[in-house]
Amino acid sequence: MSSFGDALAAGEFVITVELDPPAGPDLAPLIDLASELNGQVDAFVISDNRLASARLSPVLAGQRLSQEAGAEVIVTLTCRDRNRLALTSEMLAAAAAGLDNLLLVSGDFVNLGDQPGAKPVYDLDSVQALVLAGGLNGAARFLLGSGLAPEASPQPPQVMKFNKKLRAGAGFFMTKPLSGLAGLEAFVEAAGPLEAKLIAGVEVTDEAGPEAAATLAKEVKASGLAGGAHLSWPGAPQRLPELLALLQA
Amino acid sequence: MIVAQRKPFAEIAQSVSGFNRVLVAGCGTCVAVCLIGGEKEAGILASQLDMGAQIKGDECTFAVACVERQCDREFLDELAPQVAEHEAVLSLACGAGISFLAERFSDTPVLAGVNTSFIGINDDVGVWGERCRSCRDCLLSLTGGICPQALCPKGMLNGPCGGASEGKCEADPLKDCAWALIWERLENTGRLSNLEPIVAARDHADNLPGAQVHPAYERRYSAHE
Repeated sequence: MSSFGDALAAGEFVITVELDPPAGPDLAPLIDLASELNGQVDAFVISDNRLASARLSPVLAGQRLSQEAGAEVIVTLTCRDRNRLALTSEMLAAAAAGLDNLLLVSGDFVNLGDQPGAKPVYDLDSVQALVLAGGLNGAARFLLGSGLAPEASPQPPQVMKFNKKLRAGAGFFMTKPLSGLAGLEAFVEAAGPLEAKLIAGVEVTDEAGPEAAATLAKEVKASGLAGGAHLSWPGAPQRLPELLALLQA
Repeated sequence: MIVAQRKPFAEIAQSVSGFNRVLVAGCGTCVAVCLIGGEKEAGILASQLDMGAQIKGDECTFAVACVERQCDREFLDELAPQVAEHEAVLSLACGAGISFLAERFSDTPVLAGVNTSFIGINDDVGVWGERCRSCRDCLLSLTGGICPQALCPKGMLNGPCGGASEGKCEADPLKDCAWALIWERLENTGRLSNLEPIVAARDHADNLPGAQVHPAYERRYSAHE
């Protein structure tokens, strides 16, 4: 199992960070950042055309980060940009690159991104993508995760979908960035005893700054509601070391 | 019904340029109901084109015809004498009607005056809404009569995406989240258990040009089998 999977299974409070591949071919800054952060985080979540804006392939970025920074990587794959053939190709590419942690999500709608006229694919939804990836296990050894939106409303259909993802083989869930603990608390209460680990999304915003994010991450850990925190700093990932320093303070 | 929108006038005027005698052909069914391509709208468009031509000093003429349905060979035949007298036909039918008209009168250029929008319903006076994507595998029995293919921009079959907020859609916050509607409908009718099974990925193997023969007519049209 991956070291990230081991940490989850051991019940450690994991720290992951979100890294966007570049919108160009130069991966050196991302590799440098991962090298700097390595050892302080349990895994790097490589986003997949985040907010529907085109970027370098997450599988290739993950492979380079793994090889050149020694990073533990979680590869995100969205259903927005690929049909089941293309998803299978990318899953196999990840397995061949030794990247066993997959985060399978539906993906932000194309009209939020830089090419709003692109055809939205969604041949599969995230539940079906988990089923697809599970079918490859045997040949591959994936640890599968998916997204979770504790603050989305109405909540009951979100809980229903969460349970489908569990049945489809999701072993961990990355939440969308939280605004506080209330939504997560309500979700956990509604979902009942959890059979998978939730990793709470903690995002640095311009308004609140890194101190508020660090405080929220600490509150998440103290609450016991989630098995980890997933940190992101949109627009300024190079400042993530500041956030990690605040967390350790 | 099929709902359509008229193409921008400039695009239509461009498409008919170069033809001196154009027949504007309305369709008396769906596009007439949605006030886009019936006899009245065909007449208005012909007048507009006529004025445009006069302003430009062109010598084009625009005649008007309308049949009950352009998607039916029997009705299209009624147009034959008028089509024969014109250089081109500007059809205001849906894409099916335009295609069939072009197939029936294949020696005559047929131009599209509308963009076909969706299969929908008349929600109120002058308001239409999409309800069906004609996906060939209807799930409405499971989803309380609310189609997640037509009403969810992502076509999610197993529940809402994480972008739903206050029951509104991530892609268009002015629209209701289809899955919020589905949940409410099924909850109100005690059928939430419909949503428990994982819905499998759709089978697109039959995603070829559709054609079907009613079973009662199979012997007559056995060539289709």
